[in-house]
Amino acid sequence: MDPTMGTPTGVKAGPEPTGSKQGVDAQVKLEELRRLFADAPELGKKALANVLRELTSQVADMPPPIESAGRVGARLGKRSELTIVVPLASGGAKRLRAFLRLLGGNLSPGATKVGTLHDMRFVFLDNDTRMLFATSFDGDWDTYIDDFIALIPDYLDIIDSAWDGWPGIRSPGAKDYLVKHQITAEGWFVAHPDLTVADIQRLKRIGQALDKFLDEIGE
Amino acid sequence: MQTRTQAEQDRIVEQKIKKVMELYSDAPELGRAALDRGLAALTQELAAATGKESAGRIGARQGKVSELTSILPFVKGGAKRLRGLLEALEGNFQGADRVGTLHDMRFVFLDNDTKLLFATAYDGEWDAYIDDFVTKIPNSLDLLFCNIEGWPGIHSPAVKDWLVKHQVQAEAWYVANPNVTVAETRRLARLGQAVAEFLDKVE
Repeated sequence: MDPTMGTPTGVKAGPEPTGSKQGVDAQVKLEELRRLFADAPELGKKALANVLRELTSQVADMPPPIESAGRVGARLGKRSELTIVVPLASGGAKRLRAFLRLLGGNLSPGATKVGTLHDMRFVFLDNDTRMLFATSFDGDWDTYIDDFIALIPDYLDIIDSAWDGWPGIRSPGAKDYLVKHQITAEGWFVAHPDLTVADIQRLKRIGQALDKFLDEIGE
Repeated sequence: MQTRTQAEQDRIVEQKIKKVMELYSDAPELGRAALDRGLAALTQELAAATGKESAGRIGARQGKVSELTSILPFVKGGAKRLRGLLEALEGNFQGADRVGTLHDMRFVFLDNDTKLLFATAYDGEWDAYIDDFVTKIPNSLDLLFCNIEGWPGIHSPAVKDWLVKHQVQAEAWYVANPNVTVAETRRLARLGQAVAEFLDKVE
């Protein structure tokens, strides 16, 4: 068994390395990569050779690194990820699937109330024995979960009562349950890491107002 | 889609509510209580449900934004290599920007490093999206997925079938701004900045 297995270290909760330290580290990292890929399948080795120059600039020229979303999860800029894989209670998959299908898989009316939620998916795994619940949201984990609890507690209980051992959203154990089943992503990319849900809505309004203005002066 | 009359729509919602009540009759107590309390809101939601759409060959779409969710088995040593690669990059995927239609992307190690969860949110159709990956960042994909069992290589004609085989369709999919693509967001961000600068000058 490899000693590094099962010890996710990609996301550090502590202080982030400085830019200069990253520069110094770049060479070491590339060496590590070459070593790691020495026993990769042939096409992996070839791909590494092909992208090595690009990778060199990528590793050395660091944009903001991934940070922690708080108690758990990764964050890039203002955008965080939540990834939960949870066992389903007996009969839970059937109930939850039917519930989601009745909604047409569209959770907009409830989810829109949580003003910091970018996207959210529910995926049944392993013959309906487990569920993947994955979201992308703005800011800090605790604040985000507090929003869910304050704004749509009943939706959460309807959905999460299908999860094995769910203590109920009003239970003091709810957050610990979520933390226990959340797995921090080791790679996290966001196209626009500095735009919150509210920012995008504001920009949409500016765009519409400007279009209207231009239409009017054009008349 | 045909337009339903209000009476038809009401009847459909009523039937759906009845079905949910039946479904939850054997749910844990707190699930039933939540349903009782949430019934009014739920009725509204059921009436408004437009339904998620398909992203094409596989995956759910809401408005212009689609989801891709894959569970991929690691080859021996694959998890260690991929983790090393991700650590070296510190989660920085410059290449992903080049795809142009990718909103967000996560790599999550599951089940004692035996499987990888690869999940993205992207614009539009599945086939066009995969084609973008294939033409714009083929090497990056080989680098990432050579660590996965059975990866045929990005240039193999079998690559799309392989991807479909490992993708799991989301049962529900929500997007806050479903009509704003990555490109549209960039345009709006530039516009917002220009407006702010303009207003600074007039002041």
